[in-house]
Amino acid sequence: MTNTILCVKWGDKYDHTYVEKLKEQCEQNCSVPFNFYCLTDNPTKPYDIQLPTTWDAYYHADRDFFWAYRKYYVFGLGNNNFLPEIEGEQFLLLDLDVRIHQDLKYFFELPMDKPWIVRGWWNNLDTVKQNFAKHKSTPLNSSVIRWNRNQLKDVFDNINRNAEVIFFTYPSADNYFNHHWYNIWDEDASFFQGFPQGDIYSWYKGNVYPDDMEKHKLRENMKICLYNNSGYGEGDSDDKLHKIYA
Amino acid sequence: MVKAIVMTNYIKYTPEVARDWKSVNSAVRGDDYKHCARRIEDASTSSQLISKLWIVEEVSKLKLDATRVALLAGWYANFIVPLLIDELQTKMIYNFEIDEDVKQLSYKFNKRYKDDKTYKCEIVDVMTAPVWKKMKKHETGFDLVINTACEHMFPMYKFRELNRGFLDNPLYVLQSTDDSSFDDHINCVSSPDELAEQANLVDVLYSGTKVLDNGMNRFMVIGK
Repeated sequence: MTNTILCVKWGDKYDHTYVEKLKEQCEQNCSVPFNFYCLTDNPTKPYDIQLPTTWDAYYHADRDFFWAYRKYYVFGLGNNNFLPEIEGEQFLLLDLDVRIHQDLKYFFELPMDKPWIVRGWWNNLDTVKQNFAKHKSTPLNSSVIRWNRNQLKDVFDNINRNAEVIFFTYPSADNYFNHHWYNIWDEDASFFQGFPQGDIYSWYKGNVYPDDMEKHKLRENMKICLYNNSGYGEGDSDDKLHKIYA
Repeated sequence: MVKAIVMTNYIKYTPEVARDWKSVNSAVRGDDYKHCARRIEDASTSSQLISKLWIVEEVSKLKLDATRVALLAGWYANFIVPLLIDELQTKMIYNFEIDEDVKQLSYKFNKRYKDDKTYKCEIVDVMTAPVWKKMKKHETGFDLVINTACEHMFPMYKFRELNRGFLDNPLYVLQSTDDSSFDDHINCVSSPDELAEQANLVDVLYSGTKVLDNGMNRFMVIGK
C-alpha cells in the first residue's frame, strides 16, 4: 500500500520554509517510500494542493477559538472523489511544528484496526475529566494522526453534518474529537486510539504525567517531539513558537 | 384533573435523600471521583437551588403537566429530580448528559429513583444527535423538556430540529444568563426574549428574570 505524508499550511503564521523543512525531515527519517503533499491556500510547489474552503463559512473569528479546522479536510480523502490529486492508502498527517527523531516507517507499520491520534500522556487524567464538559484540558492532540483511506469518513461526515454546531461549540478540534471520537473513561471503546507512551512527547508540557514532565527537553529516543502549545483555556498560546530549525 | 399550585421554597431532606447524598460525599472522598468534588460543590449552591425552585413555582402556577420530563445537560440532577417528583408528581425523568462522571454521580444522588426506574441518565450530545434514539419507542413522549444550561450550548432550535416529530410536542422550560465571564458560557443571551427566540418558541407561557444570590441574572422562558 502506498504511504502518504500530509501537512497543511494556511495564512502567514508559517512561511513555506517550514513545509520544506518538514519534507526534508521526512526524507531523512523515513526508510519506506512515501508521497508528500501540502494542502495550502497558496499553492506554489509541485507537492502543493489547493486547500478547500467550504468550512470557512462556519468559523466564528470573533469567538477567539483556536480552530485549526483546515487540517481536517484530509479526513475526507476517498470520500466521493474528494481531493482526487492525493494518492495513497496509508496516511500520516504531521503539523509543521514537529521535530522527527526516529524512522517514520514505524507509523506506517502500526496495526490499523483503529486510526491513531496523539494521546497527550503528559495530561493529568483527573484534570482532563474535571474539565470535560468545559471544553478544556483535552487529552488529544491532532499534531500527528495516522489513518488508512476512508477510515476517517465518519468523522469527516460528522463535521460536515454538524458544522454549524461544532464550530460554535468547540474552542478547538481536539476538544471536539475528545467529546465525539474518544472515551477517556474507556479508551478501548474509543474510535481513535492514542499512540503509545514513548512515541510522542511535548516540548512545552513534558512526556508522561506525573513521572517524566520535564519541559524544554529533547528526548531523541522517542519518535516525534511536538512544539504545539495551543491548549485552549490552559493559559498558554502558541504565539511564541519555539524555533525548531534554528 | 385540577392541579394545586405549589409554592415551594425548600427541598425535602428525607432519610432517603440523606442516604443517597451521603454516598456521593463518600464517592468524592475516594480516588475515583475526587476530581469531581469542586463541581459537586458548584452544583449544590443556593443559586442552583433557587433556579430549580423557580421552575417548580412557575410550572405549578401554569398548572402544566410534568408527568414525563427530559432534562438536557441536567448535570448531577441533585435538586431538580427530587423537586419534580415531590412537588410536580413527575413519574419519569430522562437526563441527557455528555459526561460519564456526571452520569454515575447523578445515579448516586438519585439512587432511590434510579432503582425504581423513575430516573435515567443517557450519554448523548443533544445538539448533534437526536435523544429519541436513546430511548425505547414507547418512552419517547415528554410533557416538559427542561434545559437550565442553555448558556453552555448551541441555541435550542437545533435540538428541536433534531427531535422534530418524536417528542410529542413538549413544552420547553429554558434558563440562561447574560453573564459571559465564564469560558464555558458560550451562548449567553441578553434577555428572556432572546432565549425564546433562540428556541423558536412561538407560544410563550412564561418569561421572566431573576437575580440570583450570587448576583447573576437568570432568565427563564416556558413555551412551545
